[in-house]
Amino acid sequence: MEASSDLPPREAGGFAGSPRKGRPAAARRSRASVWHRVRSNRWSYVYLAPFLALVVVFTIYPLFASLGYTLYQWNGVGDPTQYVGLQNFARIVRDSIFWQAFGHTLVYTVVLVPVQLALALTLALVLNDRRLRFSTFYRAVYFIPAVTSAAIVGVVFQLMLSNFGDSFSQVLVRLHLVQHRIDWLGDPHAVLWIVIAIGIWNTLGYNLVYFLAGLQTIPAELYEAARIDGAGAAGRFRHVTVPGLREVGLIILFLAVLGSLQVFDLVQVLTGGGPYYASEVVNTYIYHQAFGAGSFGGGGGAAAQPNVGFASAASFFYGLLLLVITGLQALAWGWMGRRRTRAVG
Amino acid sequence: MDRRAFLGAAATVGGATMLGAVLAACGAPGGASGTASIDTWDWWVSQSPWLDHELKQFEHANGNIQVRRTVNATSSYDKLFTLAQRSNSGPDVFMISTTTVPLNEQVEKGWLLPLNQWATSSWRRRFPPYSFIEGGNMFGGKVYSAPLTRPSPWLQLYINNKVFRDAGLTNADGSVKVPRTWDDVTRSAEVITRKGNGNTYGLGFGNGSFPILPWWVEVFVRPAGSPGGSSGPDMRSGKYTFGSDRNYLDFAQLLLSWNRKGYFFPTSVSISDEIARAYFERGKFGMTVGGVWNQAEWTQHGFTDYTLTTLVGPRETRGGYFYTQPGGTVLAISSRTKHPEQAWAWFDWFYGVNSGKSWVQEYNEDLSIYSQNNDPHKIRFKPFAEYVALQNMAIPGPGASIRNPAQAYVVVNPVQPDFGTILTGVFTGQIKEKDVLAAFMDLDARLQASLDQGVKQAQQQGHKVSLDDYVFPDWDITKPYHWNIPQYP
Repeated sequence: MEASSDLPPREAGGFAGSPRKGRPAAARRSRASVWHRVRSNRWSYVYLAPFLALVVVFTIYPLFASLGYTLYQWNGVGDPTQYVGLQNFARIVRDSIFWQAFGHTLVYTVVLVPVQLALALTLALVLNDRRLRFSTFYRAVYFIPAVTSAAIVGVVFQLMLSNFGDSFSQVLVRLHLVQHRIDWLGDPHAVLWIVIAIGIWNTLGYNLVYFLAGLQTIPAELYEAARIDGAGAAGRFRHVTVPGLREVGLIILFLAVLGSLQVFDLVQVLTGGGPYYASEVVNTYIYHQAFGAGSFGGGGGAAAQPNVGFASAASFFYGLLLLVITGLQALAWGWMGRRRTRAVG
Repeated sequence: MDRRAFLGAAATVGGATMLGAVLAACGAPGGASGTASIDTWDWWVSQSPWLDHELKQFEHANGNIQVRRTVNATSSYDKLFTLAQRSNSGPDVFMISTTTVPLNEQVEKGWLLPLNQWATSSWRRRFPPYSFIEGGNMFGGKVYSAPLTRPSPWLQLYINNKVFRDAGLTNADGSVKVPRTWDDVTRSAEVITRKGNGNTYGLGFGNGSFPILPWWVEVFVRPAGSPGGSSGPDMRSGKYTFGSDRNYLDFAQLLLSWNRKGYFFPTSVSISDEIARAYFERGKFGMTVGGVWNQAEWTQHGFTDYTLTTLVGPRETRGGYFYTQPGGTVLAISSRTKHPEQAWAWFDWFYGVNSGKSWVQEYNEDLSIYSQNNDPHKIRFKPFAEYVALQNMAIPGPGASIRNPAQAYVVVNPVQPDFGTILTGVFTGQIKEKDVLAAFMDLDARLQASLDQGVKQAQQQGHKVSLDDYVFPDWDITKPYHWNIPQYP
């Protein structure tokens, strides 16, 4: 068998006589091979280019550009001149409001992700049933909130619960469900839970669609075989559905956790992090530091003057925390994977 | 038509079209021949009827100038303006915002056009004394802006007459019993809430867009003898006194007791100020704190049955006032404008005596910088006349930057949480009553440290400033302060 140009370089080199003569030839072939592959997939690269450009301009560049700003106190106008060294980082580590916001972000994630995924999976199972009539209609209904901007959702719920929520509250009083009218977004004990509930409703559709896609990759024959073997609905779910969804489920979980840790627009529009930081999450905290006041709910972020340097430091520090959390997630999955492999073996 | 004739005709038509386009391009900039368009930015909504009226009058009187007005959202104006300056764009004329960049820094960056070629000594003398001040609206002897309004008691306690009448809070002559003291407010709120039976409350506010409780401190704590108001410091000592001045704690406790007794409209913490105004108008609560800008909106809605007062203290005798500073700024002209003469024409019209007259007497927006416009007897609308009659509740007070213009270089960074945020925490119970004093004292320490730091940094930059600039130990807070500066610099 002759070495094909599709073979990886090391194997290709291995067929090429002596190593001394073989290496340049292999390198040449490797370069030709890479170029050949790029050319043959040129349209894929063309389609990827706009997205890549956007990522470079709006994610990669700001990430590195903002690193320098973390060492300055700077209002974002002109060149930063007031060098403060690592003071910004020291302030963040000592800032109880940052850690409170971090705690709220974790609560948001820890509550939203399992509840939302459980709901999404349940709904996906129901909607995946071929006997269900109008399933396309129901799928559309559940997906509509997901295609609505979180900011719009925030505005609408703000109007419903707060600005025009008086009548809604009054109905509950008349029904004797509550004694007094409730300031839903002004109650520090209720506000974060309301944000979580709206968050669950808003992005449920995405996970529902992911789960539906995952369910449709499981061959119907497996269910058929399980049924013949006498497995009930619970047995089929446990031994066919769950293993079949494991890979896609991990991706869904990963995306849901990351998405929840990045929550911003819903909180900013709905409550601005208030009242008195009761719903402040890390991204609204960073926003308030970078762009100053203008918060709903009575004082989420109260910094009247922007401090882009401090906000950059907070953003960078939070990035590191997210990196640690993601690393722990990856370790946990690796550990679970090894455990499963051992169990199967 | 043969091919040659066709090409010839096409060339003629194409050439004529090109010539037309070139000629059009060589015409006067900004649209119709001889007309210059200037852009102006502001964030005024309540004041829009007056401003639009003045723009119309101005364009009518100056047929060759067209003004394109952009009304921005108040909360985002500062960001938009700063970003516009960074990208070398922006309007010809703009409302000054100093949240991100202090005015002296904006001048140093060259954003503002010096106006001395038009704002001559005689032009400045049109204004009352102390309208222009170095370090305020003048820098390096050059004029950059001017005051539009006479300093006023900028916040008032508004009373919905119908709510008061329905609760029986009236005098023998049928007029409503206007509260004069904290106890009066408590009694009125108690009666309204009790008789309102869950539909009407004594007090209400809208804290949703920004912390608004500092406004209540302005109206209720200043007359108790706390000249620092909601922002401080107390210029007699140069120190922040939220923790050491008993009046702040007393009022916080009063606020809590009103809240515990259910006198406040239940969703006050989360509704916006605009919604709170609408609810007040509809009689959902009897008293609220706001500014004169509320009146224009209420008048538009046909709501005029209200009364107002200000500086409601623990006793009827007022122990403190609102304090005014010389100078003032509203509009400025961009240094990048391509139409400076036209921009100045609008600027001059905006600050004209007649515009001021219409500002006060026709549109009832606020006091005018020209005292002749501020006669309450010339005002037909009663609530606005009541406001104008309160003008003496604002008296001159001392200022560090008046004593030392170099104070413009002192940048005091905000602290977090600030006073408004802390008051929100007190109101919602997130800061326990026993911890309020500690929270105020902690705020004092943080604010003082920030001021010290600002002064220190300015000193390091070579500016001759000191913390002593903030200390006026002989100041009698019940009397107008005499500014030791030229009346017309």
